[in-house]
Amino acid sequence: MQTQLIRDLEALLGPQAVLSAPEDLMLYEYDGSVELGAPRCIVFPKSARDVSEIVRLANRYESPILGRGAGTGLSGGAIARSGGIVVAFSRMNRILEVDAANLRAVVQPGVVNLDLSRAVEHLGLYFAPDPSSQKSCTIGGNVSENSGGPHTLAYGVTANHVTGLEIVLPDGEIVRIGGKSIENSGYDLAGLLIGSEGTLALVTEITVRLMRKPEAVKTLLAVYDTLDDTTESVVEITVRAITPAACEMLDGFTLRAVEDYVHAGFPKDCAAVLLIEVEGLKEAVEAQAAEITEVCRQHRAREVRIARTDQERNLLWRGRKEAFGAMGRISPMYYVQDGVIPRTRLPETLRRIEEISRRYDLQIGNIFHAGDGNLHPLILFDERNREQFARVVAAGGEIMRHCVEVGGALTGEHGIGMEKNELMPLIFTPDDLALMARVRDAFNPAGRLNPGKVLPMGKACGEIRVPRPPATATIPT
Amino acid sequence: MNRPTQTSLIRLEEITGGAYVSAEAAGLEAREVCGMRPAVVVSPADAPQIAEIVRFAAAEKLAVIPTGGCTKLSIGSCPARYDIALDLSRMNRVLAYDPHDLTLGVEPGARIEDLLRTLAEQKQFLPLAVPFLDHATIGGIVAANSSSPLRHAYGAVRDFCLGMEFVTGEGAPAKSGGRVVKNVTGYDLHKLLIGSLGTLGVITRVNFRTFPMPQAQGTFVATFSSAEAAFDFCRTVSHSVLTPQMMEVANPGTAALIFSGEFSARLEPRTWSVIISTAGLPAVVQRHEIELGRMAGPAEADEFLPLSDAEADSVLAQIREFPRLMIERAPTGLIFRISAVSGMLPMLLGKLRVLAAQRELDFVSLGRASGIFYVSFLPQTEVSPSPEFLGRVIGEVFRICGQPETQSSAMLEWCPAELKTSPEIVWGPARPDFELMRRVKRSFDPQNVLAPGRFAGGM
Repeated sequence: MQTQLIRDLEALLGPQAVLSAPEDLMLYEYDGSVELGAPRCIVFPKSARDVSEIVRLANRYESPILGRGAGTGLSGGAIARSGGIVVAFSRMNRILEVDAANLRAVVQPGVVNLDLSRAVEHLGLYFAPDPSSQKSCTIGGNVSENSGGPHTLAYGVTANHVTGLEIVLPDGEIVRIGGKSIENSGYDLAGLLIGSEGTLALVTEITVRLMRKPEAVKTLLAVYDTLDDTTESVVEITVRAITPAACEMLDGFTLRAVEDYVHAGFPKDCAAVLLIEVEGLKEAVEAQAAEITEVCRQHRAREVRIARTDQERNLLWRGRKEAFGAMGRISPMYYVQDGVIPRTRLPETLRRIEEISRRYDLQIGNIFHAGDGNLHPLILFDERNREQFARVVAAGGEIMRHCVEVGGALTGEHGIGMEKNELMPLIFTPDDLALMARVRDAFNPAGRLNPGKVLPMGKACGEIRVPRPPATATIPT
Repeated sequence: MNRPTQTSLIRLEEITGGAYVSAEAAGLEAREVCGMRPAVVVSPADAPQIAEIVRFAAAEKLAVIPTGGCTKLSIGSCPARYDIALDLSRMNRVLAYDPHDLTLGVEPGARIEDLLRTLAEQKQFLPLAVPFLDHATIGGIVAANSSSPLRHAYGAVRDFCLGMEFVTGEGAPAKSGGRVVKNVTGYDLHKLLIGSLGTLGVITRVNFRTFPMPQAQGTFVATFSSAEAAFDFCRTVSHSVLTPQMMEVANPGTAALIFSGEFSARLEPRTWSVIISTAGLPAVVQRHEIELGRMAGPAEADEFLPLSDAEADSVLAQIREFPRLMIERAPTGLIFRISAVSGMLPMLLGKLRVLAAQRELDFVSLGRASGIFYVSFLPQTEVSPSPEFLGRVIGEVFRICGQPETQSSAMLEWCPAELKTSPEIVWGPARPDFELMRRVKRSFDPQNVLAPGRFAGGM
């Protein structure tokens, strides 16, 4: 039966558009998280019609099915948890239209995030959501996860930048939601679909807003000798209602790893730095940069440096955006979290993370979007050490519970996926979750579209999923 | 429940207390929707009471419509049934306001005017410059997705609402989103409630991010002799580095309504006006004045005028209250809310103007740089055109806006109740995505308890 499915898919799409050899499947069994799951096959559609036909075949064979962009997601959203068909959008990677006059672009889901900004750069435009993975992540993936990035602080997440979608429903029907206009009469279906982590529909076309590049940009690096001074500066910036475009924090440990790798000029002997960007009219930028400098100095910043050239600025940002990669040089694995807290609770939260790190004897790096309270503690581990791994899971759980206790959220931009779905009851009541499940079932009644994601399956209530056991990944036959 | 039965009243009184259940005529009349009166007005104190009332209504097959300031009850198609008006005005508390975090949680009955006053004490605000400011409540503003001219700079409710709590049509309390400024935990169900006109859930709490009040503000008016010149000017501004917080294009009919006194006397009757306001540091405001003035010349503006603070306050208030001004001017007029990209506006407006001229109706339009525009068709004489005649005009407007090349979306936000003979009159012809909306409605309100029939497709 299964091989017949693959034969049918090959007949539909051509043999070059279907992968089912074990060595090929291995490349698609993971994403940017620490999860694993082997699909039955990978298919590469070229159009919404292809996707619709694939979905219909999946239904005929009662096969699970899920979409996949670049596989950079950090919560297992693109992992075939129950096997089945992975719809890889890498061949649907065309920018269909750039409508500069109306500040819109129409793209296929496989378009890489940064490629869109590059394609409209000569028009003085860009696509605002800028996740750290923007060099490789796709806009389809951004839509599924409602991705953010450092500049979310000023410009919002993906949902704030999408006006239209073409989707394929789990029964194969192709439906358009909205278009170029800023709103569409009726319920805000796009608002629901964006961030639904591929559990309601497969997205086959996206209409996005483009933004005009600001007149002036200033990037500041504030260097601190204590974590408390760093976090207090962030609180003060928020309290004073200064609104930078981005406000990122890297702690000393992370910084040293990054500096050895990127050579961005970060001081290696400090406790932490803030990387702050202000954008807008030059008058506003000058004034904000001066005020931020003053705040940082008042909070005992050792140095406040302003990038003098674009090159300097890019290097600082490279340091930030490649920080996760740099961690790979010093640890075999890391587990990154994505909790959110009210911004004024940053100092106590960082102290709590430090304490948890000591108590569990784990190295935890902190690199995150300080300005909107979106933490990314990176817990380093060696996957071969199961005992250590148990501590990682426990420490991660404690950090997450702290975020919830202070009025925060489980995830700011990485998604729930299969990593945190059993933690959903920490935030939501059974009634809340029942309603979400009914909405999911309204779109995805058979539950075959990306099963086992977002909503708890009720098997390990309140637990972060224990990710992959070492070297036991099975290769399907 | 045309007449509330004694047992129904007793049950409702058990839930809220006798003082909060009323069948007095004035209260019922104020909560009329499409000429339909509820049998009873119930004023719950909190979400658990709402949940009980809705469960009772579901069991008794009664229909419930949530109300607040009763300023926008005429938006939407006619409900199929209407028994209980839920009056949420007792639920008007600020539940959490942390100015340092720039976050706010409020009950639905909080009046926007009061809320803005509370925020102003902390030099903060919500960018909701919405009509009926003196009566509108947060619940109503959110449920009707009221249009604010400040959307251009700050986004709409969907962009700064962080989460909501609500009671579903099954009487179950539920929530989505949260209280922090960035959050992708679970489905964003609250986005569905924005603009849902009470058909999915009764909103019991809304969490917002708040915004720091700018130090300085400046408002400018540029006048033009044609729509094309006015829109060209807007385009030039949009594609410049300037960062206005509001940019509105008023046709001559609108200009006559929003400008008053000396300023109005100076306007030519055929003048199109672009009203731009900017906010921020004094240097930023000054920069806007200089550059806008510089752009106005080559754009063939007849005049470019900075407004005094008093003039600006008056003009901004009139712009904010635009739908209300239209209704007051002609209660039998048609007011459409249309969303379109800026490049399509001149063409769309041109077609709609021609339609109005052909039908001998006054045409009044206010276009927002955010991509929302209001167009009104108003009778020229005291005698109202027949419903059949207006029905044909409505059909024409939907036909024009429905042409794929216009990339626009329209709804008839205000019209006389007797015109609303079908949901299509208000929402336009059925679209393929209506079926998905129907599924959403069934998930939230399987027994059709909440404002049945008031939404698109008769949902």
